[in-house]
Amino acid sequence: MTSSQKVSVAGMGCICACGHTPESAFEGALRGEAYFAFPVNRVESTYTSKFPVFMVPPDICAAKPADMTFSQFFFIEAAKQAFEQAGISPRQLSSKRVGVVVGSSVHPSFHCFEIYKRWKHHTLTAQDVTGLKNYLATPLAPWVSRFFGFKGPVQTVVTACASGTDAIGMAKNWIETGLCDAVLCGGTDEISESPYDGFIRLLVSTPQKCRPFSKDRTGINIGEGAAALLLVNADTAREFHLPCHGYVLGYGNACDGFHPTAPDPQGTGLQQALTFALRDANVQPQDLAFVNAHGTASQANDSAEAVAFRAVIPDVAVWGSKGVTGHTLGAAGAVEAVLSLQALNKCILPATVGFTMADEKLGLTPTMQTVPIAKRVAVSDSLAFGGCNAAIVLEACDAA
Amino acid sequence: MLPKLYVNGWSCLVGDCSAENFASFMDVRKLRRAETVSKNVLLCAFRALEQAGEKRQEKSGWGISLAMGAGALGSTLKFMDSIIEDGDELSSPTAFASSVHNSTALLLSLFLHIHGPCVVTGQLDSSFAGALLTAQQFLAKDMCRQVLVAITEDVNPLLMEQVQRDPHVFDPFMYQPSCPPQRVAGVFAVSAVPTEATRFVLDDFQLSATADVASCTEPQVSVCSCAHTVLALKQQLETQAPFVFHEQFAGSVFDCKGEPYVRP
Repeated sequence: MTSSQKVSVAGMGCICACGHTPESAFEGALRGEAYFAFPVNRVESTYTSKFPVFMVPPDICAAKPADMTFSQFFFIEAAKQAFEQAGISPRQLSSKRVGVVVGSSVHPSFHCFEIYKRWKHHTLTAQDVTGLKNYLATPLAPWVSRFFGFKGPVQTVVTACASGTDAIGMAKNWIETGLCDAVLCGGTDEISESPYDGFIRLLVSTPQKCRPFSKDRTGINIGEGAAALLLVNADTAREFHLPCHGYVLGYGNACDGFHPTAPDPQGTGLQQALTFALRDANVQPQDLAFVNAHGTASQANDSAEAVAFRAVIPDVAVWGSKGVTGHTLGAAGAVEAVLSLQALNKCILPATVGFTMADEKLGLTPTMQTVPIAKRVAVSDSLAFGGCNAAIVLEACDAA
Repeated sequence: MLPKLYVNGWSCLVGDCSAENFASFMDVRKLRRAETVSKNVLLCAFRALEQAGEKRQEKSGWGISLAMGAGALGSTLKFMDSIIEDGDELSSPTAFASSVHNSTALLLSLFLHIHGPCVVTGQLDSSFAGALLTAQQFLAKDMCRQVLVAITEDVNPLLMEQVQRDPHVFDPFMYQPSCPPQRVAGVFAVSAVPTEATRFVLDDFQLSATADVASCTEPQVSVCSCAHTVLALKQQLETQAPFVFHEQFAGSVFDCKGEPYVRP
């Protein structure tokens, strides 16, 4: 595919525990520094002093308007960064077909916990009714589109922890098939009671810091945040003299059909998703600088991923970034795409924070220190409950 | 160029399935832990596939595009109930796992033996329109040859109570006083090229953010369930006549055209 046909990243934004911009998040990943909340102060749970999470720092959260959820706020802030980096305002794109695809898990579910609790106790207030109306009026992607004044197609992807990767892949396809000239895409999620308690009750969360791909890994730390990418076709990039911060070359998706919460141990669906993404990108495994793994540090996830990597992309460097972001659920794939593009553009691959010792059963050792990279292409994958797998192929910007 | 969608089979269900409905498709005991909303859409999928002439056990070449307006609501409420009633230390992990949107998609892929692409859309009333768009993209990018476009919706008791108090604001369809609230499921089997089973063609899709942004400064809540779209579309298909379809949602509009398929 020539650069005149490729879907380029005109701008990106990111807010998560390790930074509040793409630059600072990548710096945080390099230094292994992040806001690790212990005890957790934003959810009501008896577990808050037992199970830590990666959170967006309070000084960033303090700017959240009262009429937005954290998921909405994180995504809007990330999107504003993306437009700023692209050097264009949403209004300037008004003559274009601009779509919005956002992946999330908490906002699109009926997780109105406090309202529901009051309803159960027959103490619903007028403010709660207004809250319900707002919930019904703000399906995520249409709301984001309306916020920026776009008129193109809208889609809220809810394939759980694969949502962010799916959103970017689908946005790329929307442009390639001519549905849109530009798409604002990404993922967003927030710490809330249901996933916090739910992962603990499933015995997936760990009271320690997560250790991706380590022999002594004990589980996941959930996290929160958002990442947004402004993808554009070549004509739009030319017309508005937009910068290029990389390309989205390929997208693959396949389901295991195996188990509600565990991946297929053979990583069958992931193998298929990776294979399709590489084919879509016209990229060979040997072209890859690295794979940004889902790497949640759960026994089952890391094991299935290792099998799939050995089968489809053997000998490719594996980087896990959840040791600095936590598992940001529906935002994870988007946050990791932004971190991966930063790594490609800066030609350095960070260490896998949290990794302690190799697990011989996995047959892979993730990055243990920051290393220079020469290749221009990487793949990022996500696995989700229900056996949904997604992968995207990313390329460095031309100047890298 | 985006492909037309050739509709090769469809099935809708208002209310709940029964164990007997599955007798000719599978061992129903395997569904004993499945949520009702998931079983409803699985039954529709079996019927739509049958109508589409798909008889293979392993359905290679198929993808799934599932719409769930508010997710797996029954399980979400069950999980919140278990926290409220039993405390979070005794909350139900099973209910949490089932509350994830993908749990319904899993049931379809597991029992229909579909291992192709699978995406779930959840944006309240416009979810089904989004799922149709995704199916079209799967086909345009050759990610699969046929797609099950599915929707399943639960009833929200909290919203239902509010609707009865304030029917002009909330969903005028599922929760009308004259229409008892019921679960709704539907599945359309579609392809980018006609098959021997093709009966209808859908074209000219548009799912766009509401054009008049100024009019959206106040929240617009027309319907809160994507079930409305699937039932309206089914009704159109059953007329066996060309139609133009238009629906207005909270913040977006959906348009498409349809006509009976005439075999060349």
